[in-house]
Amino acid sequence: MALNPLTLRKLRRFRSIKRGYWSFVVLIGLVVLSLLGELFVNNRPLLVSYEGKWYFPTYGANIPGTTFGFDYTYETNYRDLNERFRSENKGDWMLMPLVPFNPNENAPYEGVFKPAPPSWMGGPEGHWLGTDTTGRDIFARLFYGFRIAIFFSLAFMALTYLIGIGVGCLMGYYGGVFDLIVQRLIEIWSNIPFLYIVIILFSVIPSTFSIPARIAMLLVVMVLFSWTSMTYYMRTATYREKARDYTAAAVVLGAGPGRIIFHHILPNTISTIVTFMPFTVVSAITAITALDFLGFGLPPPTPSMGELLKQGTQTLTTAPWIVGSTFSALVFILVLITFIGEAVREAFDPKKFTTYQ
Amino acid sequence: MIMTTSDKLLRPALVLLAGFTLLFAGCGKKDAAEAPAENKPNALDEAKAYYAANPDFFHFKTAQDIPADLNWEDGMELPDIGDPNAKKGGTVNYWVQDFPRTLRTIGPDSNGSFRPWILDDNYLRYAQRHPNVTSLTENGFHYFPGVADRWALDRENKTVYIHINPAARWSDGKPITTEDALFSFFLHRSTYIKAPWYNNYYSTKYSGITRFDEHTFALHFPELRPDIYSTSLENIPVPAHFYKELGEDYPERYQWRNVPTTGAYVVNDRDIDKGRSITLTRVKDWWAKDLKFYRYRFNPDRIRIMVIRDNAKAFEAFRKGDIDFFDMRLAEDWYDKLPDSAPEIANGYIQKLKFYNDIPRPTYGLWMNEATPLLSNRDIRVGVQHATNWDLVISKFSRGDWSRMETTADGYGDFTHPTLKARRYDIDKALASFAKAGFTKRGPDGILVNDQGQRLSIQLTTGYEHYKDLLTILQEEAIKAGLDLRIEVLDRTAAWKKTQEKKHEISFVAFNVGPELFPRYWETYHSKNAYDQAFLEDGSVNPARSPKPQTNNLQTIASIKLDEMIDAYDRSESLEEMKQLAYKMEEFLYEDASFSPGFVIPYMRHGAWRWLQVPADGNVKIATSFEEYHLFWIDEDLKKETLEARKSGKPLPPAIKVFEQYK
Repeated sequence: MALNPLTLRKLRRFRSIKRGYWSFVVLIGLVVLSLLGELFVNNRPLLVSYEGKWYFPTYGANIPGTTFGFDYTYETNYRDLNERFRSENKGDWMLMPLVPFNPNENAPYEGVFKPAPPSWMGGPEGHWLGTDTTGRDIFARLFYGFRIAIFFSLAFMALTYLIGIGVGCLMGYYGGVFDLIVQRLIEIWSNIPFLYIVIILFSVIPSTFSIPARIAMLLVVMVLFSWTSMTYYMRTATYREKARDYTAAAVVLGAGPGRIIFHHILPNTISTIVTFMPFTVVSAITAITALDFLGFGLPPPTPSMGELLKQGTQTLTTAPWIVGSTFSALVFILVLITFIGEAVREAFDPKKFTTYQ
Repeated sequence: MIMTTSDKLLRPALVLLAGFTLLFAGCGKKDAAEAPAENKPNALDEAKAYYAANPDFFHFKTAQDIPADLNWEDGMELPDIGDPNAKKGGTVNYWVQDFPRTLRTIGPDSNGSFRPWILDDNYLRYAQRHPNVTSLTENGFHYFPGVADRWALDRENKTVYIHINPAARWSDGKPITTEDALFSFFLHRSTYIKAPWYNNYYSTKYSGITRFDEHTFALHFPELRPDIYSTSLENIPVPAHFYKELGEDYPERYQWRNVPTTGAYVVNDRDIDKGRSITLTRVKDWWAKDLKFYRYRFNPDRIRIMVIRDNAKAFEAFRKGDIDFFDMRLAEDWYDKLPDSAPEIANGYIQKLKFYNDIPRPTYGLWMNEATPLLSNRDIRVGVQHATNWDLVISKFSRGDWSRMETTADGYGDFTHPTLKARRYDIDKALASFAKAGFTKRGPDGILVNDQGQRLSIQLTTGYEHYKDLLTILQEEAIKAGLDLRIEVLDRTAAWKKTQEKKHEISFVAFNVGPELFPRYWETYHSKNAYDQAFLEDGSVNPARSPKPQTNNLQTIASIKLDEMIDAYDRSESLEEMKQLAYKMEEFLYEDASFSPGFVIPYMRHGAWRWLQVPADGNVKIATSFEEYHLFWIDEDLKKETLEARKSGKPLPPAIKVFEQYK
């Protein structure tokens, strides 16, 4: 793909802003890592060698206990199996992931369901960040919580921009009565308090759906109430571009509105949009965390940072590691994205390349 | 925690931790009470006209008409309540989550967590059930006198005669008379109060009232139920003179007026700090202060109730000493935040009190809706029961403090089935039962599927956000038995609405139950509360039936056999017959398997600062909260000693008390 030399210069400029660039690299690294999360954070082993046969339980159907000589038909408890392998010493072995816990796995600590401190604070082995109120590994929950939050917010961003840009450009391009009416509609729409609507909708929606479907519904609801802010930027940008000569030239050449908007005007307004993107992601992560915190987000036991934060505030004195690690993780991610955002804004700043006379 | 329209006025209510109610406290709304009184008709005249217009219900006779052969009872032979060592005086500090929305005791918003302080726990009824002597007489419970000093039952005429103590006074000094007893019926049947539940109760439960003289009246009933004393003696008089401005604008007009009370505590206007705190003051020269059953109760001079919006924050306030006692029902508070080794406990500044009570238990469990496709199959319901690991929840989540609920009505003494046991967690039995319903193979995710490829996936709805962890434990255990429970945590009201409209598959919810004589079955199990017309004339299932919303038959159970038992139970005038029917119904419900009994919390536990003393035996047998019977007192000397010791770090003997006499 041949990139516009101007764009190439912007990208080079972005690379030269070290803080933003490295934040970007780290974030991409984290996203890729989280995509392969099951290989790193899981209670299923990567590889089991049992009676000379190899099993790869990570992906795919779960393997019942009977396969490995247990007397139950539900999924094998690999931790028990590992113990057994060790005590039997028959040459069977398994390779566990780096963090051998599943985010939904409740485990009693000292015989009851309560938070266990991180391993370096004297807690049970393997729980680097300790466990939450029902003994689930906090690292695993943060890790998968991050994965859901980041993809949720990326999808959120894509959808809001799609709608926002589409409507905004049309308003700017057509102007007049159409613009006037849509503006009024948007004003009315954006006056509906978003948070209340989400709370109300989510408490009454008959959720016979699976967890992914419910996440998708939350996404749709959030998008429906968030696309409006984008339209204003696009509307003004389109108004401005529409008055330029190249647009007039395209019209004269007989290009239709769709072509003019999306092929001529949009590329010239894209820099405005790009600078908003990271901040939209930040606000989406914050929103979903806040909703989870209030208890109106993802259904339990979906791992989520908001839910952990809530637990943390309730156990501030007895289990400070919950709020501590969640807060740090959240700040880390938001700071990363904010750094990226600042760098993008600087790199795409038109004042760097244009001088008005 | 609890959702039911029980007649809280007539039965001691559980104060709920609940209430996520947002309220606009202190928002400077002009009080209707301050509005100048208009020249409007007097409600007392209206009441008189009402009595005259309803001669079938309101009868007026003279003292000569009182039958001479009545067997009057006064309950004075019952043991006293409270501790003779109790000291009077001092101020107790406590908290509520929300500022009361009104000081009315009837009408919109009045049924909040503050009302027990002015009504349920405070107000003297005509007579009250003795909280320690729980054996049964032929007339039901044992009663000790309150506003009435004696009463008598006329079985033949289904009538209870009540004599009001001539010494009884309202807190504003006016005497309590039979006018107030009559007015109670006018008020509670009036549409002005905007309380349809009372309107209905006072119109259907009673068939009439007769006034004989200033202090004697009688209540008439359409039938002679074994709990006739609780519907008559636990009734209350209302101060007629206070309600003389009663009218259409009652809710606004009386919003912030202090109702005169028969009880020990009143709220004075100057003690209302809207949005912040409200203080109760002991009535000066309270008429019942030296009477048996009351002399050792209602001890502190003042009870200051602060508003603290958050439970965790209130706990810290308690730890600081701003609050004198705290409900430590959460395992986390009891074991982790204030363990026995905590300095306040080890040094004896704060006492830990655990009291085992003996009351009907709230029905925590899984309510399965039989009107849904999967759960209409009994084999699946049985499977769900065996796939639900309550024992793990009890041992690991409650840390062994709770116990298993066994029937749908635990804690009713003789009325609770003596031998029936709930089904235990058993993966093999669950799998066998699911297999009978066609779910034989496990899918790739370990969940059972049937031949049509349908997954055994059932939704579990709840409004109890604080029990979310418990449900994830059940969920994880159910997967082992091939059952997928999809947890749905909704807002409390939304969850309750969904359940009452029978839109749920399984609901985790509990009914609050008052300390009643016998369990109720009609509300929860009669087919009338499941479908509008469950069966056709010939007894076959009505094909066009659909679940009836807004009833408490959460399982949508409809059985002609069960209906017959319930009807017989509700008609019965013999306790023994009712007991046998209750056992049969419990057995029927066990076989039906649509209620998976969960857990029972058999105790209350509190932290209390050393100066807040409780009786030597802790509390009364049927207590549902620390404060319900007002048995505690403040010891000012101990307070001084404790505060000084805390300042200097001097240890005092620790006070960790467990009261197990009713375990």
